[in-house]
Amino acid sequence: MTASTAGQRGSRAGMVAAETGKKLANAGGLNAVLHWSQGLLDAEGARVDRMAAPGPLAAVPVVLKDNIVTVEQPTTCASRILEGYVSPYNATVVERLRAAGAIIAAKTNLDEFAMGSSTEHSAFGRVQHPLDPSRVPGGSSGGSAALVAAGVVPAALGSETGGSVRQPASFCGVVGVKPSYGRVSRYGLVAFGSSLDCVSSFGRTVDDAARVLSVISGPDPLDATTVDRPAMKLPPALPDLRGLTFGLPREYFPTDLDEGVTSALRRTADRIRELGGEIRDVSLPNSAYAVPTYYIIAPAEAAANLARYDGVRYGQREVGPEGDIRALYRSTRGEGFGDEVRRRILVGTYVLSAGYYDAYYRKAQRVRALIADDFRRVFGSGIDLLLTPTTPTTAFKAGEKTEDPVAMYLADVFVCPMSLAGLPALSLPVGRSEGLPVGAQLVAPYFEEERMLAAARVLEHSLDALAEVR
Amino acid sequence: MTIGLDEVLHVAKLAELAVRENELRRLVDQMNRIVDYVATLDEVPADRMAEPFLAGPESVALREDVETAVPLAHPPASVAPEFVGGFFLVPRHGAMEDQ
Repeated sequence: MTASTAGQRGSRAGMVAAETGKKLANAGGLNAVLHWSQGLLDAEGARVDRMAAPGPLAAVPVVLKDNIVTVEQPTTCASRILEGYVSPYNATVVERLRAAGAIIAAKTNLDEFAMGSSTEHSAFGRVQHPLDPSRVPGGSSGGSAALVAAGVVPAALGSETGGSVRQPASFCGVVGVKPSYGRVSRYGLVAFGSSLDCVSSFGRTVDDAARVLSVISGPDPLDATTVDRPAMKLPPALPDLRGLTFGLPREYFPTDLDEGVTSALRRTADRIRELGGEIRDVSLPNSAYAVPTYYIIAPAEAAANLARYDGVRYGQREVGPEGDIRALYRSTRGEGFGDEVRRRILVGTYVLSAGYYDAYYRKAQRVRALIADDFRRVFGSGIDLLLTPTTPTTAFKAGEKTEDPVAMYLADVFVCPMSLAGLPALSLPVGRSEGLPVGAQLVAPYFEEERMLAAARVLEHSLDALAEVR
Repeated sequence: MTIGLDEVLHVAKLAELAVRENELRRLVDQMNRIVDYVATLDEVPADRMAEPFLAGPESVALREDVETAVPLAHPPASVAPEFVGGFFLVPRHGAMEDQ
């Protein structure tokens, strides 16, 4: 998405739609797309060409994670239980993208109901990493990340519950931005963990991701969790990083951190200093407990949110052998949900059940408060932004972690804490290790997205993200 | 903490989730692995406390407890054949039989 794209009229959108269709067809091997058709793309192009006032995303093709509801295409959440489901309404973010002139190009593959870190837990097959088909693109928004990385679209929407945009952005070498909790409407985002879920954006560049975020952010009367603040502004263009203090939390740089990730982050910190930024060591001691905290709270919320898929109101229905309504519920859910979703529903139900609630859920809520308090303390001590690795390693091999759920969960160790605290954060590609992208994460205080994006843009322009750093 | 087969079956029943016989053993192992892992929260000293966490800024959870009008996603007029003055117009009683 460039300035030259925005504002052009005539049949520009129609041509973009045709071109995007060709790219989507060529990218079929990635298995990143669940729904698209040239007919719908052409209709989108024609609609944009008819718009009287081209918006800030005029004729920009955007793909959506398939847990964001749309009227014109199915919404499956990559689950058999929702196969063929078509929403009667568009999500608010979809309406805002369309009003801004974006071309809704496709719905993308994901880990089923956004539960996973590799996009291997899709009922419709795993997504391949665009640079190495034997590896995963990360998850759960792996389809959106892969399409942006492959150059099919300049921007995409994903969703974050515990890092599901930043982690695949890091693995695929694109920009992924999670806004503050409450900054973007979730009306029409299929619920997973309601105290955590955020619609988030991907971009080939910081500007692409920021432009999308500025369009979709702002209060929405249809979502009571949106905060009454104006939409996010595009970040100011900074000449350098003078006046900004970056905190490096020591807990995010363990001694066994991957060598390539360590080198890339060291190089990023050096560049921050060269650009006039100050670097300070800080401590976030309770972040060490973020993953276990997340894997109590998120499954508990998921168990409640996914109770609605019972074979009566949505999608697939299986009639159980006993033939009563409970058998229908159990058979539908047992057959319709995949392994990871069923595991999380069971864990969520377990930690909420009588006798275990205090031992798990109440304790996790207490630790969540400690994690958030750490961030509050650090940001209150003169730190403007935090710099951490996004992931402990580069993209891992497909199948490497599928048999050990805890090993998979630990892929999110550096992105979970910000989700628990509701903070804005982004992943920026900052180099390559053995040919695979490495992401650096910037974290900001609540509603300081503009500061975070402005700093990321300075770094983006001064770091070669394709340079081998190991 | 060890979760047994009966406990997994009980939780599955609470969650309205059918579990196949041949996957039970694996499910029990994985549940134990996950629950053992999340139990590492026991390491956090009980006296380490912080203000209860509210997702996002306080204004989200602590907004004024007053009822506000929330617009419908699809106003009645957009889905009804005839909608006048806040009323759905329907055929006159008996009119259907007359036709």
